[in-house]
Parts: sequence; C-alpha cells; structure tokens
Amino acid sequence: MGSLTKSDAIAGPALSLETPAHADQRLPWEWAALGSILLASCGHLLIKLGLVAAAHATAYPGLVERVLHYMMQPAVAAGLMIYGLGTLLWIMAVSRRNISFLYPLTALNYVLVSLGGKILFDEKISSGRWLGIAVVVAGVALMQLSATGEKA
Amino acid sequence: MSPATALWTSILLGSCAQVFLKKGVSPQNTAGGASYMALLRSAWVWAWAACFLLATGLWMIAISKIEVSFAFPMLSLGYLVVPVLSIFFLREHVSRKRWTAIAVITLGALIIYRSA
Repeated sequence: MGSLTKSDAIAGPALSLETPAHADQRLPWEWAALGSILLASCGHLLIKLGLVAAAHATAYPGLVERVLHYMMQPAVAAGLMIYGLGTLLWIMAVSRRNISFLYPLTALNYVLVSLGGKILFDEKISSGRWLGIAVVVAGVALMQLSATGEKA
Repeated sequence: MSPATALWTSILLGSCAQVFLKKGVSPQNTAGGASYMALLRSAWVWAWAACFLLATGLWMIAISKIEVSFAFPMLSLGYLVVPVLSIFFLREHVSRKRWTAIAVITLGALIIYRSA
C-alpha cells in the first residue's frame, strides 16, 4: 500500500485504505463465479451425504421434526454453510459482471451435482439422463441468449 | 409425504417464493422506498421467506431418498414455473424467444424424468 504521504496524514488513515484503480485487489470475477459454483455443488452433495447418514430419520413422523433432525446432522449443517458461502461469492461475482453473462454458468451445477451423485453415491446415470441434463444446460444458455437485447 | 411429492412441492414452492419476493421488492408495494425496514414490513417478503424455508425442508426430504442426479436437474423446472406464475401474478410479458428456451429446458427435464 506504500508509505503514508503528507496528504494521507492530513486526511486521516481511512484514505490510505483506498486501492488505486490500477491495483484492483478484489477477487477476480472468474474465481468468484467458479468458486461459487463449486461451493454450491459441494454444498448440495454434503447435504445429501448427511441425509444418507440420517436415513433412520423416517422414525420422525412430523415434517418439522424430520427437517430439524436433518439439519442437526454435521454434514447437512456444513453443506448449508458452504452453500451460503457460495452465495456470498456469487454476490461478489454479480457485482463485477453482468448477471445475464454469469447466470448460464450456474447450469454447470446440474452437471457437477450429477457427477458427484455418480462418484459419491454410486448413482447409475443412464445416457438418457445425461442427454436430458445436456438439453437443460443448452436451454439455460439459450434463455440468456434470448435475453440479450431485451429490456426486461 | 412421499419423497416424490416432496420434490414436486419443493419446486413449486421455490418458484412461488421468487414471485413473492418480486412482489415484495417492486416499488409500488414498498411504500416509502426500498429500505430494509420497509421490506421487513412487507407481507410478500414474509411469504417469500416462508416458502423458501418450506421448499428447502421439502428439498431435504426429497433428496434423502431420491438420487441427486435425478432430483437436482429437476429443479430446472423452475425455469418453466416462474415465468408461468409471473404472467398471472406479475403481468410480465414472456417473449417468444424466451418461450423457446423454456421449451428446451422443459424437454430436458422430461428426458431426465423418462429415463429415471
């Protein structure tokens, strides 16, 4: 940040915290966007991991009791927290780039979560299911293409 | 509640939540500007929070039993439900181009459903 100049000393220490425009120290949007997508996918998978551990929770008849029991699982709580962290990174990314540019990237979550299901939970993903996922991702990209030039 | 019912209800409530939030933050419903206090006084914002919490709870019930590679891509049905709700409750216009994209997404969800 450099040494304190005379004008900084007069204006007070708050000014010296300002970063010059050419040395932007904020997280680059690529990392923020990629990080938020990875964290969101990991969060969902961790939640599923915790839910598998809480499989006996069917003993809880009430909806609220069951959900509260789920949220008490360490992996579920960690998953929710990581998901929240991903949301913070997402807000950072959105503050740097246009949402219509960033939003289609979140469709990557469909691929990542499904891959996680295959690797972590031995889910058999048929080629039909992969095709469906690919069509969904293409549709989300198309949605954003259709938004360019629209005001709403 | 069966896991499948939980999944569909969760998708529906999650979509309703978006419409409620939009109602809550639109200028004509936040008399006195969009301050945080005004948002807290808005019934729409509370409806959003309730739907969001309920949808999250139901989502957990759903994926405790259903494969994530099936349930998670199904969330993309929100791309169909939100615009349909927004036409009726927000009087939004959905362009033909956007309908095309929504149709592609829905087709994808249908393929996943059929291949379950």
